[in-house]
Amino acid sequence: MSAIPYTEAEAPEVLVQRQTRSGRLAMTLAVLAMIAVAAMPWWASTGTIRSILVLCCYIAVAQMWNLLAGYAGLVSVGQHAFMGAAGYALFVLAQTYGINPFAAVFLSLLVPAALAVPIYLLLHRLDGPYFSIGTWVVAEVFRLTASNLPLVNSGAGMSLRVMKDYSAFERNVAMSLLCAGMLLVTLGGSYWLLRSRFGLALIAMRDNPVAAASQGVNVAKLRFLVYVASAVGCGLAGAIYFMAQLRITPGSAFDPMWANVAIFIVMVGGIGSIEGVLIGSLIFFIADRWFGEYGATYFVVLGLMTLLVALYARTGIWGLISKRWDAPWFPIRRKLVDPDR
Amino acid sequence: MEWFDALVQGILLGGMYAQYALGMALMFGVMRIVNISHGDLVILLSLIGISMASAWGLGPLPVLIVLVPLAVLMGWVLQKAVLNRVVGSDPLPSLIATFGLSIALQNLMLQIWSANSRSLPGHGIESQSIEIGAVYIGLLPLIVLAVATGLTWGLDLTLKRTRFGRALRAASADVEAAAMTGINPRAVYAMATAAAVGILGFAAVFQALRSTVAPADGPAQLIYAFEAVIIGGMGTVWGAFVGSMVLGISQAIGFRIDPGFGVLAGHIVFLIVLATRPQGLFGKALA
Repeated sequence: MSAIPYTEAEAPEVLVQRQTRSGRLAMTLAVLAMIAVAAMPWWASTGTIRSILVLCCYIAVAQMWNLLAGYAGLVSVGQHAFMGAAGYALFVLAQTYGINPFAAVFLSLLVPAALAVPIYLLLHRLDGPYFSIGTWVVAEVFRLTASNLPLVNSGAGMSLRVMKDYSAFERNVAMSLLCAGMLLVTLGGSYWLLRSRFGLALIAMRDNPVAAASQGVNVAKLRFLVYVASAVGCGLAGAIYFMAQLRITPGSAFDPMWANVAIFIVMVGGIGSIEGVLIGSLIFFIADRWFGEYGATYFVVLGLMTLLVALYARTGIWGLISKRWDAPWFPIRRKLVDPDR
Repeated sequence: MEWFDALVQGILLGGMYAQYALGMALMFGVMRIVNISHGDLVILLSLIGISMASAWGLGPLPVLIVLVPLAVLMGWVLQKAVLNRVVGSDPLPSLIATFGLSIALQNLMLQIWSANSRSLPGHGIESQSIEIGAVYIGLLPLIVLAVATGLTWGLDLTLKRTRFGRALRAASADVEAAAMTGINPRAVYAMATAAAVGILGFAAVFQALRSTVAPADGPAQLIYAFEAVIIGGMGTVWGAFVGSMVLGISQAIGFRIDPGFGVLAGHIVFLIVLATRPQGLFGKALA
């Protein structure tokens, strides 16, 4: 075979623009918000800190689900399996084995990471929608196992009594720092990932996995890595959430409510974007405060909204906004600018 | 003898699961859609049946006669209003849409019927049993198994022998090619979903007769149906039937070992099948 002759072309002189004015503004605000979260003990009441902690958990779990469904094409409805697993690991390490609970938060992340590997190897054999229900079965297996496991006190659940060794202020400081760290890892980490080479591969995979594979993206490996990363991120949220709750039971640890929350936030906010997760989380957080007392009716409305978004507005609120105004908060595009023009 | 009894009870339980699994196998086989609200539809139909029975004093058979056409209608409406808009190669929209529908249905049922468990009065049929050797077989579970076998046989025959069945199989093999030969895929899809939910009408009556139903029970039924389909192998009706038996037997033996282990035993067998034979017992291995 002879090489196809082509004329040597010089790359045109262009600048690659990767940040925008809206992006810089949003980045400044995000950094300020992160500092505000870390400094909560000095300006917020314990009640406020607990509310913000829940909001941070919503954002983290939703972003992890977004990474899975929005980029890797893996629709999981069982990410709460990893939240509960890390939560239980924290309780066992801190309460049963007497490890410092704040160190145990990080150690407990090994559990979802170690569990995610065999689970993915098992579940990736399932086709599209069946993968989703498979993840749900895994979460059920975790819940039933926890209900039968004497190590975690079976169905009765565990309490984190060691936390009483710390003053309320110390606990608030730790919670606030953990929240800020969680946002940094899940949101900041995703943003960094999406702007890196991996991000290009992920976006290519989101748009068309077959085409991405033909361009040299190792789709299978990338999916596996995203699944494990998402499990660890959900585990972090679970460990922090249950540390604040001070109590864990099989029912609360493996509560499918978290899958509902993540799907609602990401679908309504806008799948495949960090902005959408932030918008969706704020909407859900506010709706939960205002309408949570209506219980079942409120969930009927949430369910119907999810249904309507899937039917008529797949890109969610951020999709509608970004169609009108081109002002991304977290720009990940590479824009070529000709300096001569 | 105790284990033989567990085996028999497991097969009878499998008859119940087969009634959920058939509809799921049909819908996935034809449209590549998994309806997350599958289990919630069973519960909704059961609760409607129970309310009808208590309001008008109907026995189980009249309830069944009213409920099955209602279920067929519900399936048709579900397809027209929701599923036809989300069917396609991307599994995300259909999953999210039916997921939202499932949450809405569960909470709507919670409001209408409250969280209490209810059951359908069977006028004595639920307590009759036949003694064979040393094993007692409940009359009702036997009827459930017989109906499940009949439905499987009927569905299999419909798919193999009728015009509708041929259209269904053509549409599931290649939608575009089927459309070129004059099949209207949307009409075929609507009929498939109507048939799938219609079968759930039977499941609803028997579920309410055999045990109790509460608005939050749907997801468990969805998972059992799903496990039965995967164990049996996707795309075969008899596979779903046998998968249901395997699941029922696993659960019944698990319950004998430890009451807390029953459902978990079913999940574990499912995961073992997935690990060792991902195409299912009857499925063809992918090339």
